[in-house]
Amino acid sequence: MIDPDGDKRKLTRRAVMVGAGGAALAGPVLAQGLIPSGMIDLGLPGGPSLRPLTPLFPGKGEMIVQRIRPPVLETPMTVFDQGTITPNDRFFVRWNWEMPTSVNAAAHRVAVGGAVKAPASLTLDEIASAGEHVEVVAINQCAGNGRGLSQPRVTGGQWGNGAMGCARWTGVRLKDVLAKAGVVSGATRVRFAGLDVPLTDGAPQFIKSIPIDIAMRDDVLVAWGMNGEPLPLLHGYPLRIVVPGWFSTYWVKMLATIEVLTGEDDSHYVAKTYRVPTQPVSPGDKDFATVPITAMPPRSFITSHADGDTAALGQPLTLRGIAMGGDAALSKVDLVGSGLELPCELGPDEGPFAFRRWTVTIPDVSADLTGIGVRAANVNGAVQPGTLGWNPSGYARNVIERITLRAQ
Amino acid sequence: MRHAVILPIAAALLLAACDRAPTVVFADAAITLPDDPADLPDLPGRDAVIANCTACHSPSTMLQQPRIPREKWQSQVTKMIETYKAPVDEQAIPAIVDYLVAVQTAQAETDGGIAPSP
Repeated sequence: MIDPDGDKRKLTRRAVMVGAGGAALAGPVLAQGLIPSGMIDLGLPGGPSLRPLTPLFPGKGEMIVQRIRPPVLETPMTVFDQGTITPNDRFFVRWNWEMPTSVNAAAHRVAVGGAVKAPASLTLDEIASAGEHVEVVAINQCAGNGRGLSQPRVTGGQWGNGAMGCARWTGVRLKDVLAKAGVVSGATRVRFAGLDVPLTDGAPQFIKSIPIDIAMRDDVLVAWGMNGEPLPLLHGYPLRIVVPGWFSTYWVKMLATIEVLTGEDDSHYVAKTYRVPTQPVSPGDKDFATVPITAMPPRSFITSHADGDTAALGQPLTLRGIAMGGDAALSKVDLVGSGLELPCELGPDEGPFAFRRWTVTIPDVSADLTGIGVRAANVNGAVQPGTLGWNPSGYARNVIERITLRAQ
Repeated sequence: MRHAVILPIAAALLLAACDRAPTVVFADAAITLPDDPADLPDLPGRDAVIANCTACHSPSTMLQQPRIPREKWQSQVTKMIETYKAPVDEQAIPAIVDYLVAVQTAQAETDGGIAPSP
């Protein structure tokens, strides 16, 4: 089973009290713990909107601090103007439960069990030699990316739009790892667990599963490489699951267990949370049907300009940014708003699951550009909507993101 | 941090073709995360929050939420206890909820950054 026992980090009532006493005593000293290098305004409607920026997390450059412990760090939008690959040191970080801060590589095992012919306990070397080494460029995006921009607002992690990144992932195919144990017929899903476990007894572990047909895809990986470097611990060293086109909730970090299921997955983070309504809902609606959030829709962003920037009156204006098709290749990006509808030119294609650069030139700026945005579409016909598909958890935001530029 | 070494993919494939020797070297890894200053406004109930909430997560989580009514804070605390098994002292729950409401009221007054309670 996936739930490990006897974890030393588990909290008891007594441990909580001891911890709190220590923290209270250390109060004045802790002021040096995380001194912000600045503040950033995420533009969250109604606030609170300001967040600290810090370069103090290990291996990270300047990041937006959403939460110190367990770490939740957001990428500033300016990073996405620098390229379609997000550097590891600027990539967003999100842990549900406290993360382990060390990994003993020689002792690490990945258990492959459940509905398999021969359960296996694989070393890291055995994983790395389980099959052909594969690289895929894919966007890793939190299901709640942009939640803080929801109107009406919803509770949960109050992200701006920086809970996303695109990296080149290196690993072996999940199906090759599964073959080491042999999947039995009748398998329905494959579930993953990492080294991160709840601090409290009886709380749900962060485990996630994907349908067997997704697990058997050629581009679904057990990955150890991120942009040509080993996965940083903050990103799941030594191994994480990569599911191109699907939200990052399935990209389980610090992979320790692979479990083949023959029925539905009734675990908390699949059956109870990370779910979206099957039909549009309004604030206050109750008892509507939901399904797990899975594949990503198209999104796009202007990165060359921010809301409130100026544009030269009477001059041409070139805008640029990034776009994604989601679970299918990007087909087009249009600049819309302020009476405009201009097709954008797309940059190099790094694969269907990668960010793609776009640029467009407005021939003559004759007035303020009010509420302009870009609208991405993918080859399956999915198009970014003009209005928010509001849902109570703030998942899968993909409304057209608009800014206003003042002409002067 | 000591870490794995990844050979260029061409070299990896070459080695794989020879004897399928592992082409990735995994090393032990460790990091130290920054301390959490646990800065919380000094309002009634602060001690109850520190004693019951901050062992699992930073208080910044609560300071960054949109303004929500008391009942919603009450249900958040209940969720932490019932779903996530937070070992919260039952006697402290009213003080915790009072604090969460008071913090948002103070935030709205001091920086005007929070919309009126819905």
